[in-house]
Amino acid sequence: MSALACSGVVVSAAGAPVLRGVDLTVAAGSRTVLVGPSGAGKTTLLRTVAGLAPLDAGEIRLGARSLRGVPAHRRRIAVVFQEPRLLPHLDVADNVAFALRAAGVRRAERRRRARALLDDVGLGGFADRRVRGLSGGEQQRVALARALCAEPELLMLDEPLAAVDPNRREGLRRLIVDLQRARAVTTLLITHDRAEAAELGERVALMLEGWIVQHAPPRELFERPASAAVARFFGAANLLRGDVRAGRLAVAGVDVPVPGPDGPATFTIRPEHVVLCDSAPLAATVVEAVYAGTHVRLALQAGSQRLQAHAVGGDAPPAGARIAVELPVDRLWRLPATAPDAPAPRAARP
Amino acid sequence: MIERHAGRAVALLFALPIAALVVRAVADQWRAPALVPQRLGLRGLDAALEAGAAFAGSLAVALVATGAAIAIGWPAARVLGERRLRRPGLVFLLLAMPLLVTPYATGAGLTEWFIRLGLAGTLPGLVLAHLVLVLPYVVVVLLSGFGARVSELEEMARTFGASPLRRLAWVTLPSVRATLAAAALLGFLVSWSQYGSSLAVGAGRPMLPLVLLPFVRTDPQVAAALALLFLAPALVALAVATRASRSPL
Repeated sequence: MSALACSGVVVSAAGAPVLRGVDLTVAAGSRTVLVGPSGAGKTTLLRTVAGLAPLDAGEIRLGARSLRGVPAHRRRIAVVFQEPRLLPHLDVADNVAFALRAAGVRRAERRRRARALLDDVGLGGFADRRVRGLSGGEQQRVALARALCAEPELLMLDEPLAAVDPNRREGLRRLIVDLQRARAVTTLLITHDRAEAAELGERVALMLEGWIVQHAPPRELFERPASAAVARFFGAANLLRGDVRAGRLAVAGVDVPVPGPDGPATFTIRPEHVVLCDSAPLAATVVEAVYAGTHVRLALQAGSQRLQAHAVGGDAPPAGARIAVELPVDRLWRLPATAPDAPAPRAARP
Repeated sequence: MIERHAGRAVALLFALPIAALVVRAVADQWRAPALVPQRLGLRGLDAALEAGAAFAGSLAVALVATGAAIAIGWPAARVLGERRLRRPGLVFLLLAMPLLVTPYATGAGLTEWFIRLGLAGTLPGLVLAHLVLVLPYVVVVLLSGFGARVSELEEMARTFGASPLRRLAWVTLPSVRATLAAAALLGFLVSWSQYGSSLAVGAGRPMLPLVLLPFVRTDPQVAAALALLFLAPALVALAVATRASRSPL
């Protein structure tokens, strides 16, 4: 297996920059999820690495090889696209064995290996079927088997669960992780869903507006974001700004203990870490309470500070209720003073 | 149910004139007002078989013109089908220009140049003249076969190690097979039935439609036999195209 190393990757489309200098390394045999909002450039990076889109500047290396000027069909990179992209005139096994055919493997051997892979993805017995009658999830499993059958140096998956029924996603997600672990194939996976990113990635790279703004284990992005933009993307919607004095920050007129030295600082805290209690110095009004299935999402107003909190369990305070809030010091995360390469934060949210 | 009856009605509509042609072709003697021929014979077919050179010429020109039209029209159809042009209407207009005037006029315009270039009355000259008329039809039919679906499959094949030639053979051709067959059929028939342009640039070279027409007045039996001869390759082309376009799914 080979490591993927992108450095300073710049790609423009129709004159507008899409990737503005992407640095991303995926260690050999590891699994990174590339996450970001639509339009951030995720798919462009995948297509550039695969050789389907031209590289304007920068360097992409796979193991010891530079991929500069290497045509797509010689890169030994397998892609699972958003759509299954199966060939309708071939049966399932011939689709799975497509890369082996291109590599000149004999038909009997091809089909034997395709059958073995179909067993691995839970489609044993599907070998001789036409692809047309398969469900979206089954087609995507065939596409996954096809990618693994190529024995690639790098496996890339572009939103592989997007075309799959929501209640079938869990099974396919587990399958992808299990197969990746078993084969230790270097894998880059794209999604726009932060929860999916957390479940799928050993490491997660967040891309915003053509930059990688943070690349770390999932927990870090959720709980130790590198910038306010990262915090916002991963749902750490609470931003507390101010001057720290004697280890305390004034929040709505109440001194809250915070970590780190004195001076100007910005802190984040995840909504699920905000503690609701009956008596605490920091008082807030419930502005909105939205039932979200697994919890009740509360919008709180404490003086001029807006806060989000999650109430788990049956007894969530209704809108208009006065409650007390605690911000545990070990859950407050102080944003690094200089955010690395983060795009300027957009207009402050209301 | 209704479709099946309609299908039978259409089949009958096509079969009747052909049956009439067959009878006419073997009627050595058929004086009015008799409903059936007085004497059957092979005089008409014998005469028709003498048009062998015209048959061969028409066939060769039609096959080469269709092949060339597909080769030349392929990239154009691709660009149009994938909607990569900002003003496809303009390209269509340019492409369809030769169809806006009668083929004889197009042919006559070409003849002047063909004489200067020494192409008049030659097979390459006829192929070129037919190509002008065949190309628009081929492009218009072929373009519907291309689109995002085909280019996505080709991308997939690229990443899985298929070289350009193999992508063509394994992915592109199977994907556009049905439209390619339809385009080839239409192109062949346009060339095969070409009268005006063949007359203009042929310089007397026998082509099947040119040989057939005079007999329509002078000798209906020979004309009918020639018409059957004329129909044969068209029917074969239709059968081949239908077979090729049958969806594998």
